[in-house]
Amino acid sequence: MSTAAWICLLLPLASAVVLTVGGTAVPRRIAGYVSTLTTMGAFAAAVVAFFDMWSKAPVERVATTTSWTWLAAGQYHFGLTLLADQVSIVMMLIVSGVGSLIVAYSVGYMDGEDEERRFFAYMSLFVFSMLLLVEGGNLLLLLAGWGMVGLSSYLLIGYYQDRPSAIAAAKKAFVMNAFGDATMALALFLLIQHTGALDYVTVFRNAPHHGAIANLIALGLLGGALAKSAQIPLHTWLPDAMEGPTPVSALIHAATMVTAGVYLIVRCHPLFENAWAVQDLAAGLGAATLLMAGLIALVQTDIKRVIAYSTMSQIGYMFVGAGIGAYPNALFHLMTHAFFKALLFLAAGILIHALTGEQDIRKLAGVGKLMPFTKWVFLIGSLALVGIFPFAGFFSKDSIIAACLAHGTYGAIIWVACVIGAFLTGVYAFRLYFIVFTGEPTAWAREHFHKHHGKEGPISMLWTVGTLAVLAVIGGWLQFAPIWHPLTTWLDPIAAPITEPSNFQEWLSSAFAIVLGLAGIGVAYVLYVARSVPVPQAVTLFEKKFYWDELYDVVWYRSSDALSRGLGTIIELPLIGGAITAVSGLTGASSRELSMAQNGLVRTYALALAGGVAVLALIFLAAR
Amino acid sequence: MANFLVWVVWFGAAFGCLVSALAVVSFSNPFYSALALIGNLASLAVLYLLLGGEFVAAGQVLVYGGAVMVMFLFVIAYLGDRTDESPWSGGPTWQVLGAVLAGGAILAEVIVVVGLKAGNLLEQPKHISRSFGTPEALGRLFLTDHLLAFEITSIVLLVAAVGGVVLGAHARASLESDARA
Amino acid sequence: MHGPDIQWYVILSAILFTTGALGVMLRRNPLIILLSVEIMLNAANLLLIAFSRLHGREDGQIFAISVMAVAASEVVVGLGLIVAMGRRNVELDVDKLRTLRG
Repeated sequence: MSTAAWICLLLPLASAVVLTVGGTAVPRRIAGYVSTLTTMGAFAAAVVAFFDMWSKAPVERVATTTSWTWLAAGQYHFGLTLLADQVSIVMMLIVSGVGSLIVAYSVGYMDGEDEERRFFAYMSLFVFSMLLLVEGGNLLLLLAGWGMVGLSSYLLIGYYQDRPSAIAAAKKAFVMNAFGDATMALALFLLIQHTGALDYVTVFRNAPHHGAIANLIALGLLGGALAKSAQIPLHTWLPDAMEGPTPVSALIHAATMVTAGVYLIVRCHPLFENAWAVQDLAAGLGAATLLMAGLIALVQTDIKRVIAYSTMSQIGYMFVGAGIGAYPNALFHLMTHAFFKALLFLAAGILIHALTGEQDIRKLAGVGKLMPFTKWVFLIGSLALVGIFPFAGFFSKDSIIAACLAHGTYGAIIWVACVIGAFLTGVYAFRLYFIVFTGEPTAWAREHFHKHHGKEGPISMLWTVGTLAVLAVIGGWLQFAPIWHPLTTWLDPIAAPITEPSNFQEWLSSAFAIVLGLAGIGVAYVLYVARSVPVPQAVTLFEKKFYWDELYDVVWYRSSDALSRGLGTIIELPLIGGAITAVSGLTGASSRELSMAQNGLVRTYALALAGGVAVLALIFLAAR
Repeated sequence: MANFLVWVVWFGAAFGCLVSALAVVSFSNPFYSALALIGNLASLAVLYLLLGGEFVAAGQVLVYGGAVMVMFLFVIAYLGDRTDESPWSGGPTWQVLGAVLAGGAILAEVIVVVGLKAGNLLEQPKHISRSFGTPEALGRLFLTDHLLAFEITSIVLLVAAVGGVVLGAHARASLESDARA
Repeated sequence: MHGPDIQWYVILSAILFTTGALGVMLRRNPLIILLSVEIMLNAANLLLIAFSRLHGREDGQIFAISVMAVAASEVVVGLGLIVAMGRRNVELDVDKLRTLRG
């Protein structure tokens, strides 16, 4: 099992190294295949590890291997430890499985790009980093993986390096994630100070169980989770991150990396349970994010941005699940979300690929007639997203919503937000679907649509999307809370839920969620297909994304700019600048005077020597 | 009586060397200055003899007063008569004042030091053996205690010889290139 | 034999040295300057030999001989420079060589 875990981790790294070192010696096509095959190999290794683990008794399923002491500082030793347990194996399967599909899809999508090799090297690096994050056996390795996925995300968002907007987006994502990394590192410092170790077992056993320190630790970890998962207030980078290639959006900014925050909370749930206030804060922020993102998604006109806000919203659900202590439900939704959100992104990618890179839904309107396959898979993805029975989202999202009801008054408030979010999801998801896929194609779309060998896209793009569509349909049947729940049982030794809804709560929530979701779809139908009611004017507040960017601009940029300008005029110019001018003036004047001594006359220099001797002799005499 | 004679010789030599030194500095024709320096060196050789430095005195007369000064005279003769019209300083006015002040200060300071007797370091001279200052004694010292200084001195001389050759060759080469241009 | 004490030699040497130094500082003819430097070196030699006699050790004389060698070297180089000047018809005046002026 440990060997399989190691293979799973190291294969993508090997691919990244080969592609980097090989450079132009690796043919373009081969680069994509190397990356795809290694990621699939990682998936195979994860499957092997999974069955190996399954064959053991539940208590023996946790395996840690330490290859060597990676970092030693004083009395602290941090090993390069891999941890394979029930939680990490699920994450490994999701990351490598969905990852291999998306990398395979990229072979078609990136065909003909100038720098395919760089792209696939980055992709492999990302898969490696993400696997390191989920397999790391201590918090330090987790932080290393955490930083490295941030780096790969930065590199991939900025992949189109000739686009200034892509570079700006990459920097924005990196800076906001760095903020999260910093708070997380601070939390780790506190943990080292109070427990003397960073491996999970010791940390969970020795961490302070209540009080300010416990809250600070949880808060620091939460900061990292919020930044990585694009939750309020560190969310503004995710929509901009859509500047990257679409497979990147699917892999990093939908399926895997952005859900790392959820993984972190589930993995460190003992620390969060020591600080219930912080855990409730996580749930509250998740609820706020899911509502806000849903509202913003209503008015976006860029197809990828709509899906990006939808991602924020769905991760909000996961945060709610993790925040109220329904860990298996959060991980379950993480998994199904990976399926259907990757599906949506990749289907959008087929569209974008076939229509010269256009992303504006007003131009893409009505392409369903031209691209029936894409239309159907997108419909499946949208239904799964809204949570309509029997698609995947129904099972996972509804179980989170139900768990809210079992969490007291606070949970009830969040429950309301969640069902409103379900309604919004219906509206924005089907607004997108109806605008893009129903009706007659626009003249622009007809003109620019081009088939790829008689198909809607390269075969590598179609089969992967088809696979994800199947997963989006059946993936949810893995667990149907009232009747069977193998995932909860599987995860129980590591992440036992502290909130479990009753069957009545499940039925009630599902009923509400489905009805409101369908209502949302109906509203979208009335507005965008039947057009019997005029579309309300898009609210400026939504269009401006609740002014978060403007707020940060005022709070961080403008204030520091004004401060530095003020300091510049008050302090720098007169004091520092004046001092420098004075020094230079003094030096200039004195050197002008002293240069008189350099008159070039040898005899004067001899005189200087003699005078020096006389003075020295005088000093010796006086000092005797 | 012998004592008196020593004093007479000493004063004669000291007077000779002071006068010749002043003459070296003040003659406007370098040829006469060089001749005066020979006198100066000879008077100093007498003083060295009085101090028991027989070998140094001989070397002074032969090498210094002989070889080196002949080279000097040769060069002066080669350069021809270039008698200075105004031998004493032009240059900045404070140069003269400063030079006299610095020279006077050094002299005054030495006199003060001698007056203070430098902490009784200037006691009566030691008794010395007959072999003091003989070539044998000096040669023994040169090849034992001061071997390094001896070798370094020889290297300095070698470097100086090479330098002289280079200067001469360089001067000729640049002269020829000037002539071509 | 009782000749003059060491003080006499020191004073004599100081006067010689000052004379040489004044020559260096006041004269403009490089030949004279070179000769004045010789006087200064000889003043130093005189002191070395006088103190050698005072202490009854020959090391001072060794030093004096070394100084003579250095003086000879210096004369070689100095004269070489002066000959080079003379060949190029540069006026023999150190004040004319002012390239180092600041």
